[in-house]
Amino acid sequence: MKQCLIVDDSRVVRKVASRIVKDLKFDVIEASDGAEALDYCRDTMPDAVLLDWNMPVMNGLDFLRALRRESEGDKPIVVFCSTENDAEHIGEAVRFGANEFIMKPFDADIIESKFAEVGLL
Amino acid sequence: MLDETFNELAELALRQSGQLIPQSKTYLMEARLGAIARREGFGSLDDLAHCLRERPNPVFEAEVAAALLSKDTRFFRERETTETLILSVLPARLKQTSNGKLRIWCAGGASGQEAYSIAMRIDEVGGSLKSARIDILSTDLCKSVTERARKGAFGHFEVQRGLSIQRLLNYFQRQETGDWQISDELRASISFRQHNLIDDSSGLGKFDVILCRHVLSGMDTVARRSVIERMVSQLLPGGVVMLGEDETLAGVTDALEPSMAYRGGWVLSGTAEREAAA
Repeated sequence: MKQCLIVDDSRVVRKVASRIVKDLKFDVIEASDGAEALDYCRDTMPDAVLLDWNMPVMNGLDFLRALRRESEGDKPIVVFCSTENDAEHIGEAVRFGANEFIMKPFDADIIESKFAEVGLL
Repeated sequence: MLDETFNELAELALRQSGQLIPQSKTYLMEARLGAIARREGFGSLDDLAHCLRERPNPVFEAEVAAALLSKDTRFFRERETTETLILSVLPARLKQTSNGKLRIWCAGGASGQEAYSIAMRIDEVGGSLKSARIDILSTDLCKSVTERARKGAFGHFEVQRGLSIQRLLNYFQRQETGDWQISDELRASISFRQHNLIDDSSGLGKFDVILCRHVLSGMDTVARRSVIERMVSQLLPGGVVMLGEDETLAGVTDALEPSMAYRGGWVLSGTAEREAAA
Protein backbone atom coordinates (compact mmCIF):
# COMPACT_ATOMS: atom_id res chain seq x y z
CA MET A 1 0.00 0.00 0.00
CA LYS A 2 1.28 3.46 -0.87
CA GLN A 3 1.89 5.84 1.96
CA CYS A 4 0.72 9.44 2.11
CA LEU A 5 1.88 11.98 4.67
CA ILE A 6 -0.68 14.68 5.35
CA VAL A 7 0.85 17.88 6.73
CA ASP A 8 -1.52 20.56 8.03
CA ASP A 9 -1.80 22.46 11.28
CA SER A 10 -5.58 22.20 11.23
CA ARG A 11 -6.81 18.99 12.79
CA VAL A 12 -10.09 19.33 10.87
CA VAL A 13 -8.36 19.62 7.49
CA ARG A 14 -6.13 16.64 8.35
CA LYS A 15 -9.17 14.62 9.27
CA VAL A 16 -11.08 15.46 6.08
CA ALA A 17 -8.05 14.93 3.82
CA SER A 18 -7.15 11.76 5.63
CA ARG A 19 -10.54 10.20 5.00
CA ILE A 20 -10.42 11.09 1.31
CA VAL A 21 -6.87 9.78 0.84
CA LYS A 22 -7.67 6.56 2.73
CA ASP A 23 -10.56 5.99 0.33
CA LEU A 24 -8.01 6.17 -2.48
CA LYS A 25 -6.29 3.19 -0.82
CA PHE A 26 -3.39 4.97 0.83
CA ASP A 27 -1.85 4.35 4.19
CA VAL A 28 -2.07 7.75 5.93
CA ILE A 29 0.27 9.43 8.41
CA GLU A 30 -0.40 12.90 9.79
CA ALA A 31 1.93 15.71 10.84
CA SER A 32 0.91 19.14 12.18
CA ASP A 33 3.85 21.18 10.86
CA GLY A 34 6.82 21.00 8.51
CA ALA A 35 9.36 20.09 11.22
CA GLU A 36 7.32 17.12 12.36
CA ALA A 37 6.86 16.05 8.74
CA LEU A 38 10.58 16.33 8.04
CA ASP A 39 11.38 14.15 11.07
CA TYR A 40 9.05 11.53 9.73
CA CYS A 41 10.53 11.66 6.23
CA ARG A 42 14.08 11.27 7.57
CA ASP A 43 12.91 8.00 9.04
CA THR A 44 10.59 6.78 6.25
CA MET A 45 10.13 8.46 2.90
CA PRO A 46 6.41 8.41 2.03
CA ASP A 47 5.20 7.97 -1.56
CA ALA A 48 3.16 11.16 -1.39
CA VAL A 49 2.95 14.31 0.72
CA LEU A 50 -0.17 16.48 0.88
CA LEU A 51 1.26 19.75 2.12
CA ASP A 52 -0.27 22.88 3.64
CA TRP A 53 1.55 26.20 3.17
CA ASN A 54 1.05 28.30 6.30
CA MET A 55 1.96 26.39 9.44
CA PRO A 56 3.73 27.25 12.70
CA VAL A 57 7.31 26.03 13.43
CA MET A 58 8.11 25.21 9.79
CA ASN A 59 5.91 26.20 6.86
CA GLY A 60 5.22 24.12 3.78
CA LEU A 61 7.67 25.85 1.49
CA ASP A 62 10.56 25.52 3.96
CA PHE A 63 9.66 21.87 4.47
CA LEU A 64 9.64 21.27 0.73
CA ARG A 65 13.02 22.92 0.27
CA ALA A 66 14.50 20.86 3.13
CA LEU A 67 12.87 17.65 1.89
CA ARG A 68 14.29 17.97 -1.60
CA ARG A 69 17.80 18.27 -0.09
CA GLU A 70 17.50 15.02 1.85
CA SER A 71 18.85 11.84 0.34
CA GLU A 72 15.90 10.14 -1.42
CA GLY A 73 14.08 13.44 -0.84
CA ASP A 74 13.27 13.68 -4.52
CA LYS A 75 11.20 10.50 -4.31
CA PRO A 76 7.96 11.65 -2.65
CA ILE A 77 5.38 13.25 -4.88
CA VAL A 78 4.46 16.50 -3.18
CA VAL A 79 1.01 17.97 -3.66
CA PHE A 80 0.72 21.42 -2.18
CA CYS A 81 -2.64 22.25 -0.68
CA SER A 82 -3.15 25.87 0.19
CA THR A 83 -5.39 28.91 0.35
CA GLU A 84 -2.58 30.90 -1.32
CA ASN A 85 -4.33 30.59 -4.66
CA ASP A 86 -2.72 33.20 -6.87
CA ALA A 87 -0.44 32.37 -9.78
CA GLU A 88 2.65 33.80 -8.02
CA HIS A 89 2.32 31.51 -5.00
CA ILE A 90 1.48 28.50 -7.12
CA GLY A 91 4.45 29.20 -9.40
CA GLU A 92 6.75 29.53 -6.41
CA ALA A 93 5.62 26.18 -5.01
CA VAL A 94 6.20 24.52 -8.38
CA ARG A 95 9.69 26.07 -8.65
CA PHE A 96 10.53 24.71 -5.22
CA GLY A 97 9.69 21.21 -6.39
CA ALA A 98 5.97 20.71 -5.79
CA ASN A 99 4.53 18.22 -8.29
CA GLU A 100 0.97 19.46 -8.04
CA PHE A 101 -1.05 22.15 -6.34
CA ILE A 102 -4.51 21.96 -4.84
CA MET A 103 -6.30 25.21 -4.10
CA LYS A 104 -8.34 25.13 -0.91
CA PRO A 105 -11.16 24.47 -0.42
CA PHE A 106 -10.93 21.00 -1.92
CA ASP A 107 -13.20 17.97 -2.16
CA ALA A 108 -12.67 14.27 -2.81
CA ASP A 109 -13.01 14.78 -6.56
CA ILE A 110 -10.19 17.34 -6.65
CA ILE A 111 -7.80 15.20 -4.61
CA GLU A 112 -8.54 12.20 -6.81
CA SER A 113 -8.05 14.26 -9.99
CA LYS A 114 -4.75 15.73 -8.78
CA PHE A 115 -3.40 12.41 -7.53
CA ALA A 116 -4.25 10.88 -10.92
CA GLU A 117 -2.51 13.81 -12.63
CA VAL A 118 0.83 12.93 -10.96
CA GLY A 119 0.46 9.19 -11.43
CA LEU A 120 -0.30 8.27 -7.82
CA LEU A 121 -3.45 6.35 -8.78
CA MET B 1 -44.10 15.34 -7.88
CA LEU B 2 -47.35 14.32 -9.55
CA ASP B 3 -47.15 11.52 -12.11
CA GLU B 4 -48.73 13.90 -14.55
CA THR B 5 -45.89 16.40 -14.00
CA PHE B 6 -43.26 13.76 -14.58
CA ASN B 7 -44.97 12.61 -17.78
CA GLU B 8 -45.30 16.11 -19.15
CA LEU B 9 -41.72 17.11 -18.41
CA ALA B 10 -40.37 13.79 -19.74
CA GLU B 11 -42.40 14.28 -22.90
CA LEU B 12 -41.07 17.82 -23.27
CA ALA B 13 -37.46 16.59 -22.90
CA LEU B 14 -37.98 13.89 -25.50
CA ARG B 15 -39.60 16.28 -27.96
CA GLN B 16 -37.09 19.10 -27.51
CA SER B 17 -33.78 17.27 -27.22
CA GLY B 18 -34.41 13.55 -27.65
CA GLN B 19 -33.46 12.98 -24.02
CA LEU B 20 -35.00 9.89 -22.45
CA ILE B 21 -35.71 10.29 -18.74
CA PRO B 22 -36.87 7.08 -17.07
CA GLN B 23 -39.32 7.28 -14.17
CA SER B 24 -36.57 5.99 -11.88
CA LYS B 25 -34.73 9.28 -12.43
CA THR B 26 -37.43 11.60 -11.13
CA TYR B 27 -34.80 12.98 -8.74
CA LEU B 28 -32.82 14.27 -11.76
CA MET B 29 -35.76 16.45 -12.71
CA GLU B 30 -36.01 17.86 -9.20
CA ALA B 31 -32.26 18.53 -9.09
CA ARG B 32 -31.89 20.06 -12.53
CA LEU B 33 -35.05 22.18 -12.60
CA GLY B 34 -34.85 23.40 -9.00
CA ALA B 35 -33.00 26.61 -9.89
CA ILE B 36 -35.34 27.57 -12.73
CA ALA B 37 -38.44 26.84 -10.65
CA ARG B 38 -37.13 29.02 -7.81
CA ARG B 39 -36.14 31.83 -10.18
CA GLU B 40 -39.58 31.87 -11.75
CA GLY B 41 -41.25 31.76 -8.37
CA PHE B 42 -42.86 28.33 -8.70
CA GLY B 43 -43.43 26.56 -5.40
CA SER B 44 -42.98 23.15 -7.02
CA LEU B 45 -42.36 21.44 -10.34
CA ASP B 46 -46.09 20.69 -10.42
CA ASP B 47 -46.71 24.46 -10.60
CA LEU B 48 -44.05 24.81 -13.29
CA ALA B 49 -45.61 22.03 -15.39
CA HIS B 50 -49.05 23.56 -14.87
CA CYS B 51 -47.81 26.90 -16.20
CA LEU B 52 -46.17 25.25 -19.24
CA ARG B 53 -49.46 23.53 -19.98
CA GLU B 54 -51.71 26.57 -19.52
CA ARG B 55 -49.46 29.14 -21.14
CA PRO B 56 -47.25 27.42 -23.72
CA ASN B 57 -44.02 29.39 -24.21
CA PRO B 58 -41.43 28.02 -26.67
CA VAL B 59 -38.54 29.97 -25.13
CA PHE B 60 -39.27 28.69 -21.64
CA GLU B 61 -39.82 25.15 -22.95
CA ALA B 62 -36.40 25.20 -24.63
CA GLU B 63 -34.82 26.48 -21.44
CA VAL B 64 -36.42 23.73 -19.36
CA ALA B 65 -35.30 21.06 -21.84
CA ALA B 66 -31.74 22.42 -21.81
CA ALA B 67 -31.68 22.49 -18.02
CA LEU B 68 -32.73 18.84 -17.90
CA LEU B 69 -29.60 17.71 -19.78
CA SER B 70 -26.45 16.62 -17.99
CA LYS B 71 -23.81 19.36 -17.80
CA ASP B 72 -21.20 17.01 -16.43
CA THR B 73 -17.84 17.59 -18.07
CA ARG B 74 -14.24 18.08 -17.11
CA PHE B 75 -10.93 19.04 -18.67
CA PHE B 76 -9.12 16.13 -20.32
CA ARG B 77 -11.95 13.71 -19.70
CA GLU B 78 -11.01 10.28 -21.08
CA ARG B 79 -7.49 11.16 -22.03
CA GLU B 80 -6.96 8.17 -24.27
CA THR B 81 -9.55 9.48 -26.72
CA THR B 82 -7.99 12.95 -26.68
CA GLU B 83 -4.53 11.46 -27.22
CA THR B 84 -5.77 9.31 -30.10
CA LEU B 85 -7.26 12.41 -31.65
CA ILE B 86 -4.14 14.55 -31.20
CA LEU B 87 -1.42 12.01 -31.92
CA SER B 88 -3.07 9.80 -34.56
CA VAL B 89 -6.28 11.09 -36.13
CA LEU B 90 -5.31 14.73 -36.72
CA PRO B 91 -1.79 14.04 -38.11
CA ALA B 92 -3.22 11.42 -40.48
CA ARG B 93 -5.99 13.76 -41.67
CA LEU B 94 -3.50 16.55 -42.09
CA LYS B 95 -1.45 14.44 -44.48
CA GLN B 96 -4.59 13.79 -46.55
CA THR B 97 -5.55 17.44 -46.90
CA SER B 98 -4.03 19.69 -49.48
CA ASN B 99 -4.78 23.01 -47.80
CA GLY B 100 -3.57 22.31 -44.24
CA LYS B 101 -7.04 22.98 -42.84
CA LEU B 102 -8.93 20.73 -40.46
CA ARG B 103 -12.29 21.12 -38.77
CA ILE B 104 -13.30 19.49 -35.49
CA TRP B 105 -16.81 19.51 -34.05
CA CYS B 106 -17.39 18.94 -30.35
CA ALA B 107 -21.08 18.00 -30.46
CA GLY B 108 -22.67 18.50 -27.07
CA GLY B 109 -19.57 20.35 -25.86
CA ALA B 110 -21.25 21.83 -22.75
CA SER B 111 -19.15 24.50 -21.02
CA GLY B 112 -16.22 24.04 -23.38
CA GLN B 113 -13.75 21.92 -21.42
CA GLU B 114 -13.50 19.35 -24.22
CA ALA B 115 -12.75 21.95 -26.90
CA TYR B 116 -10.30 23.86 -24.69
CA SER B 117 -8.50 20.61 -23.78
CA ILE B 118 -8.03 19.85 -27.48
CA ALA B 119 -6.74 23.38 -28.12
CA MET B 120 -4.27 23.06 -25.24
CA ARG B 121 -2.96 19.73 -26.53
CA ILE B 122 -2.54 21.11 -30.05
CA ASP B 123 -0.53 23.98 -28.59
CA GLU B 124 1.61 21.62 -26.50
CA VAL B 125 2.29 19.17 -29.30
CA GLY B 126 3.16 22.03 -31.63
CA GLY B 127 4.89 21.21 -34.91
CA SER B 128 2.71 20.67 -37.95
CA LEU B 129 -0.46 20.53 -35.84
CA LYS B 130 0.11 24.00 -34.50
CA SER B 131 1.00 25.48 -37.85
CA ALA B 132 -2.06 23.86 -39.47
CA ARG B 133 -5.32 25.78 -39.47
CA ILE B 134 -7.44 23.72 -37.11
CA ASP B 135 -10.89 25.10 -36.45
CA ILE B 136 -12.75 23.76 -33.47
CA LEU B 137 -16.50 24.22 -33.18
CA SER B 138 -18.18 23.41 -29.89
CA THR B 139 -21.97 23.30 -29.82
CA ASP B 140 -24.44 22.79 -27.05
CA LEU B 141 -28.20 22.89 -26.80
CA CYS B 142 -28.09 25.11 -23.76
CA LYS B 143 -27.76 28.84 -24.42
CA SER B 144 -26.36 29.87 -21.05
CA VAL B 145 -23.80 27.05 -21.06
CA THR B 146 -22.69 28.07 -24.56
CA GLU B 147 -22.24 31.66 -23.45
CA ARG B 148 -20.19 30.52 -20.48
CA ALA B 149 -18.03 28.35 -22.72
CA ARG B 150 -17.41 31.26 -25.08
CA LYS B 151 -16.34 33.45 -22.18
CA GLY B 152 -13.79 30.85 -21.08
CA ALA B 153 -13.90 31.67 -17.38
CA PHE B 154 -13.89 28.67 -15.09
CA GLY B 155 -14.47 28.32 -11.37
CA HIS B 156 -12.31 27.07 -8.52
CA PHE B 157 -13.64 23.51 -8.71
CA GLU B 158 -13.78 23.30 -12.52
CA VAL B 159 -10.10 24.16 -13.00
CA GLN B 160 -9.15 21.48 -10.50
CA ARG B 161 -10.95 18.68 -12.28
CA GLY B 162 -8.67 17.13 -14.88
CA LEU B 163 -6.37 20.11 -15.29
CA SER B 164 -2.74 19.90 -14.16
CA ILE B 165 -1.30 22.86 -12.26
CA GLN B 166 1.21 23.44 -15.05
CA ARG B 167 -1.59 23.79 -17.59
CA LEU B 168 -3.48 26.11 -15.25
CA LEU B 169 -0.41 28.34 -15.01
CA ASN B 170 0.33 28.16 -18.74
CA TYR B 171 -3.11 28.88 -20.12
CA PHE B 172 -5.17 30.65 -17.45
CA GLN B 173 -5.13 33.91 -15.54
CA ARG B 174 -6.77 34.37 -12.20
CA GLN B 175 -9.45 37.05 -12.10
CA GLU B 176 -10.40 39.22 -9.16
CA THR B 177 -13.63 37.26 -8.95
CA GLY B 178 -11.59 34.14 -8.20
CA ASP B 179 -12.45 32.62 -11.58
CA TRP B 180 -9.70 31.56 -13.96
CA GLN B 181 -9.77 33.06 -17.45
CA ILE B 182 -8.44 30.97 -20.32
CA SER B 183 -6.04 32.72 -22.70
CA ASP B 184 -7.30 34.76 -25.67
CA GLU B 185 -5.13 32.65 -27.97
CA LEU B 186 -6.96 29.45 -27.07
CA ARG B 187 -10.33 31.19 -27.16
CA ALA B 188 -9.59 32.43 -30.67
CA SER B 189 -9.10 28.90 -31.96
CA ILE B 190 -12.61 27.80 -30.97
CA SER B 191 -16.10 28.89 -32.03
CA PHE B 192 -19.03 28.27 -29.75
CA ARG B 193 -22.56 27.97 -31.01
CA GLN B 194 -25.90 27.04 -29.56
CA HIS B 195 -27.23 24.12 -31.56
CA ASN B 196 -29.68 21.29 -31.06
CA LEU B 197 -28.23 18.01 -32.36
CA ILE B 198 -31.63 16.77 -33.48
CA ASP B 199 -31.98 19.77 -35.81
CA ASP B 200 -30.56 20.09 -39.32
CA SER B 201 -26.80 20.55 -38.99
CA SER B 202 -25.92 21.42 -42.58
CA GLY B 203 -25.34 25.07 -41.61
CA LEU B 204 -22.35 24.00 -39.52
CA GLY B 205 -20.41 22.78 -42.55
CA LYS B 206 -18.35 19.63 -42.95
CA PHE B 207 -15.91 18.16 -40.48
CA ASP B 208 -12.82 15.97 -40.40
CA VAL B 209 -13.59 14.84 -36.87
CA ILE B 210 -16.83 14.85 -34.89
CA LEU B 211 -16.58 14.21 -31.17
CA CYS B 212 -19.84 13.18 -29.61
CA ARG B 213 -19.05 11.84 -26.17
CA HIS B 214 -21.63 10.79 -23.62
CA VAL B 215 -24.40 12.56 -25.45
CA LEU B 216 -26.14 9.80 -27.39
CA SER B 217 -26.44 7.44 -24.43
CA GLY B 218 -29.03 9.69 -22.78
CA MET B 219 -31.24 9.77 -25.88
CA ASP B 220 -34.03 7.53 -27.04
CA THR B 221 -33.42 5.32 -30.09
CA VAL B 222 -35.27 7.51 -32.56
CA ALA B 223 -33.36 10.65 -31.54
CA ARG B 224 -30.05 8.79 -31.50
CA ARG B 225 -30.63 7.59 -35.06
CA SER B 226 -31.54 11.00 -36.34
CA VAL B 227 -28.57 12.68 -34.61
CA ILE B 228 -26.20 10.13 -36.14
CA GLU B 229 -27.74 10.59 -39.58
CA ARG B 230 -27.20 14.33 -39.31
CA MET B 231 -23.60 13.81 -38.24
CA VAL B 232 -22.93 11.41 -41.08
CA SER B 233 -24.04 14.08 -43.54
CA GLN B 234 -21.58 16.55 -42.00
CA LEU B 235 -18.65 14.14 -42.08
CA LEU B 236 -16.02 14.68 -44.78
CA PRO B 237 -14.94 11.58 -46.73
CA GLY B 238 -12.35 9.81 -44.59
CA GLY B 239 -13.55 11.66 -41.49
CA VAL B 240 -13.91 10.10 -38.04
CA VAL B 241 -16.67 10.18 -35.41
CA MET B 242 -15.38 9.67 -31.89
CA LEU B 243 -17.64 8.54 -29.05
CA GLY B 244 -17.19 8.31 -25.29
CA GLU B 245 -15.57 5.27 -23.73
CA ASP B 246 -17.95 2.30 -23.64
CA GLU B 247 -20.31 3.92 -26.13
CA THR B 248 -21.22 2.13 -29.33
CA LEU B 249 -23.21 2.69 -32.49
CA ALA B 250 -23.79 -1.01 -33.01
CA GLY B 251 -27.49 -1.48 -33.63
CA VAL B 252 -28.01 2.28 -34.01
CA THR B 253 -26.79 2.91 -37.53
CA ASP B 254 -25.50 1.07 -40.58
CA ALA B 255 -23.93 4.20 -41.99
CA LEU B 256 -20.86 4.02 -39.73
CA GLU B 257 -18.58 1.15 -38.74
CA PRO B 258 -15.82 0.87 -36.12
CA SER B 259 -12.53 2.29 -37.31
CA MET B 260 -9.74 -0.25 -37.56
CA ALA B 261 -7.12 2.44 -37.14
CA TYR B 262 -8.45 4.37 -34.15
CA ARG B 263 -9.85 2.95 -30.95
CA GLY B 264 -13.25 4.46 -30.20
CA GLY B 265 -13.46 5.92 -33.71
CA TRP B 266 -16.24 5.30 -36.25
CA VAL B 267 -15.92 5.81 -39.99
CA LEU B 268 -18.25 5.64 -42.98
CA SER B 269 -19.28 2.04 -43.64
CA GLY B 270 -17.15 0.24 -46.18
CA THR B 271 -14.10 2.45 -45.56
CA ALA B 272 -12.56 1.05 -42.36
CA GLU B 273 -10.31 -1.42 -44.15
CA ARG B 274 -9.07 1.11 -46.65
CA GLU B 275 -8.47 3.58 -43.82
CA ALA B 276 -6.43 1.05 -41.82
CA ALA B 277 -4.27 0.26 -44.84
CA ALA B 278 -3.57 3.92 -45.58
